[in-house]
Amino acid sequence: MSGLPVLSLIVFVPLLGALALLFVPGDNHRAIRWVALLAALASFGFSLMLLGYQTSGAEFQYREDLSWIPAFGMRYTLGVDGLSTVLVLLTTVLSVVSIFYSWDPIQTRVKEYYATMLLLMVGMLGVFVSLDLFLFYVFWEISLIPMYLIIGIWGGPRRIYATVKFVIYTLVGSLLMLVAILAVAIAHGNATGTFTFSYEVLRGFGYADGLQALAFIAFFLAFAIKVPMWPFHTWLPDAHVEAPTAGSIILAGVLLKLGGYGFLRYSLPLLPDAAKEFAPIVIGLAVVAVLYGAMVSMVQPDLKKLIAYSSVSHMGFVMLGAFVFNIQGLQGAVFQMVSHGVTTGALFLLVGVIYERTHDRQIAHMGGLNGRLPRYAAIFGLFTFASIGLPGLSGFIGEFLVVLGSFQYSGYVAAATMLVVIISAVYMLWMFQRVFFSVPSDWMRRWWPSLTDLTRNEWLALAPLIVLVVALGVFPKPILDAVAGPMQRIVDAVNASHGLTSLSLPW
Amino acid sequence: MVANDLATILPELILTIGVLLVLSVDLFLGRRQKWLLTPLTVAVLVLAGAALLPIWGVNETVFAGFYRVDDLSVFFKLTAMAAAILAALFVPAYLVQRKLPLGEFNVILLFSVIGMSVLASSSDLITLFIGLELMVMPAYLMTGFHKTDRYSNEGGLKYFLLGSFASAILLFGISWTYGLSGSTRIAEMGAVLDGSRGPAGLVAVALLTVGATFKAAAVPFHFWTPDAYQGAPTPITGFLSVGPKVGAFALLVRLFADGLGANGADWYGVMAILAVLTMTGGNVVALMQTNVKRMLAYSSIAHTGYILAGLAAFAHATDPTVRQHGIEAVLFYLLGYAAMNVAAFAVVGMLQRDVRRFGGLASFAGLAGRAPLLAASMAVLLLSLTGIPPTVGFFAKLYVLVATVDAGIAWLAVALALNAALAAFYYLRVIVYMYMREPEAQPAQVDRSPFGSLALSLSVAGVLVLGVFPEPILGLVRGAVASLL
Repeated sequence: MSGLPVLSLIVFVPLLGALALLFVPGDNHRAIRWVALLAALASFGFSLMLLGYQTSGAEFQYREDLSWIPAFGMRYTLGVDGLSTVLVLLTTVLSVVSIFYSWDPIQTRVKEYYATMLLLMVGMLGVFVSLDLFLFYVFWEISLIPMYLIIGIWGGPRRIYATVKFVIYTLVGSLLMLVAILAVAIAHGNATGTFTFSYEVLRGFGYADGLQALAFIAFFLAFAIKVPMWPFHTWLPDAHVEAPTAGSIILAGVLLKLGGYGFLRYSLPLLPDAAKEFAPIVIGLAVVAVLYGAMVSMVQPDLKKLIAYSSVSHMGFVMLGAFVFNIQGLQGAVFQMVSHGVTTGALFLLVGVIYERTHDRQIAHMGGLNGRLPRYAAIFGLFTFASIGLPGLSGFIGEFLVVLGSFQYSGYVAAATMLVVIISAVYMLWMFQRVFFSVPSDWMRRWWPSLTDLTRNEWLALAPLIVLVVALGVFPKPILDAVAGPMQRIVDAVNASHGLTSLSLPW
Repeated sequence: MVANDLATILPELILTIGVLLVLSVDLFLGRRQKWLLTPLTVAVLVLAGAALLPIWGVNETVFAGFYRVDDLSVFFKLTAMAAAILAALFVPAYLVQRKLPLGEFNVILLFSVIGMSVLASSSDLITLFIGLELMVMPAYLMTGFHKTDRYSNEGGLKYFLLGSFASAILLFGISWTYGLSGSTRIAEMGAVLDGSRGPAGLVAVALLTVGATFKAAAVPFHFWTPDAYQGAPTPITGFLSVGPKVGAFALLVRLFADGLGANGADWYGVMAILAVLTMTGGNVVALMQTNVKRMLAYSSIAHTGYILAGLAAFAHATDPTVRQHGIEAVLFYLLGYAAMNVAAFAVVGMLQRDVRRFGGLASFAGLAGRAPLLAASMAVLLLSLTGIPPTVGFFAKLYVLVATVDAGIAWLAVALALNAALAAFYYLRVIVYMYMREPEAQPAQVDRSPFGSLALSLSVAGVLVLGVFPEPILGLVRGAVASLL
């Protein structure tokens, strides 16, 4: 292993980029865009070094460990396992895509915009590589404020309502999680005499049942709001509708994954007994989310809102897979996260493309675009099918594995979720038909002369996503292999647990 | 031994001489040279701060038991001086703009710091009361400093009346204590106020609690706060919201941790309930405010609640290190609060040239476009007040949370966490105005001054650096509390 602190470079190169932006004159948009893109590309480049991750090697690789605040036992510990590696790569790819895609659409406060995007990268990447609960929390919160600004400054007409709702929702969950993190660390400290926030140390400790139950609820709130799980999802459609396109890509592609990652990394290994105890409730909520998201998607008049609600449904699959506690379900959950990131990111980008041209997203206003924009229609169709879960594209693998896993848990749950595959075909195909094949609306005809097919920059932004959605659909093995080890560990930990025996509260 | 005793109060002596110096220099300066008073005052404060260094680790009770010079008092003095330095830098521009006298302000400010120092060092109830009065008298004057402004007059009068009332209650409590113990030593309070004296002891503790929390602006004894804070010249409000709070908590720590520390279980319940009432009450009312100055005034009440939670953790815990965490949290929070709140009020003051706007939210509209650096600084301060990492405000809240969870009162920690989320709403609203709204047709003018910019950059740097690397201050805080127990 080389002495290069790869993870620190991945996380902090965007910060350096943001600082460099301070010295670029504000009206030189071209230079600003290049600096931001280069910083994101550099981070992406460093993240490619993680491809050297050994599935058979140590659990956490590329570790870095420095003393930070010894008074409280907080350390700067970074490291990745297969799960983190996959999500870090997803994050850097989507960040590059969204920063690149912003090239033309963002024309106001350009410098602030790119600085904010880069800070957002720092927060998200930091969450995925932290192995210290406190450090994790710091990055978790750091990722919140940039998204708040991105929606609030560069968003649509109701942006302020949407962004405040987003922040308050998330903050309630995460502050309770902070209390839970402290409670867990202190319980461990009091029992062993060493006060630490190290994930690897805290993970193996058997916490009292009452503490597990309360801490699980606190973690659950934080992560379930982020995922978002029904009934904590109401911020998501608002945030998506108002966010600028690049913001939506990151929001759907990465920020929601922070929640899923939180469950897999923290809730389950840290509190296996409570996780086992509460699993039926979580599975119930997940099934509701899957069905509810899909059914609500059917009636959405706005393209972005439709995709936002479909995210609720797809992320429900992730939650379902995570809590059936078998290897297929968990692998499926991770795969679904990656696939959803790529697919939904691309769909939001494509909605952005038409929005740039017509400044409208109402499905009723569209129609007949296939004749006018054939290439756009083809790519949109590709991702529509990926979202439905057509075999051969990435969406299929994740959903299939999750259903397989949930079948072992209960046939009814599997049957209910299979139903959703049909509903998702209904809402996606119906949407596709109305937008691309039906008779063009009078409204759309006005734009007819100015409608142009995908530009070079749009192609460039979409290219990596097109490659990924096909490649992962045909050859999912690298991801499944990478996460097999970590997921097996979770399965073992949870299945070895006895559940909660008593619910006597410690306070 | 008098020489030795005098050496331990060198900081107070320097401040006293400084007061006389500023007073006399003021007489000889022409109108154009008045600005020289600011560096002079800052120099006096810095010198006094430097004089704290040799008495770190001394831990002696001097002047026949009336005065305690321990690391705890040194830390309180340090915090008070830091707040005063920031105030001395922020205030002049505002005063000059409104043709208010600079010399008097600096003198009053220094007097107030002396009061806080005496208060922090008191080991006797008499010293305590003298220190308290020496601190709050200047505070009344500062509130009413804008003589021609009726809000300032009203605020000053209210603060004076209710403050005197509170002082009287505290004094009454002190007299009951004296009646029971026959001594005014704080160290001897605990032995008589342990419940063994029946209702009389209860009356004494109740009066002391009410008097002290009155000064700290805890709900339900907070009614003077919003009017006093809103009436006072804005940058002065910044100091008033920090300095006297530091003093009030020095008073609380001296009385309750030092004096009644052993009887923590008796007053834990009161403190915990006051903490929750204060943070919730302050936040809920702050939510309703459309005036940023008044909003910050109510939010300062909420912060009192967070700090009281540290004291409650101290009272509830039995393990000595856990008890220490409670007081450490109080100290760290106060320092962090000093770093962020003085500056936040000062920024409001910079936008108040136009009296009709009166610090309303609208004066912040579109500030990011007009004054990007000022807006960014204010955003950092607000995020810190909210408690978002990596800022000192986050770490301060974290310290309180650690203390409360560690003491086994997780419900209080949860209440604090929910309150912090509530507070996010109104702090972030200012950021919404600065960054997400278009400026008004005639945007509020921004008053800039070199001293103000210096203080603002100091504050922002402090907020960020202490947020990421709190370790040096943590060491100081731990040392300070170690001297108490």
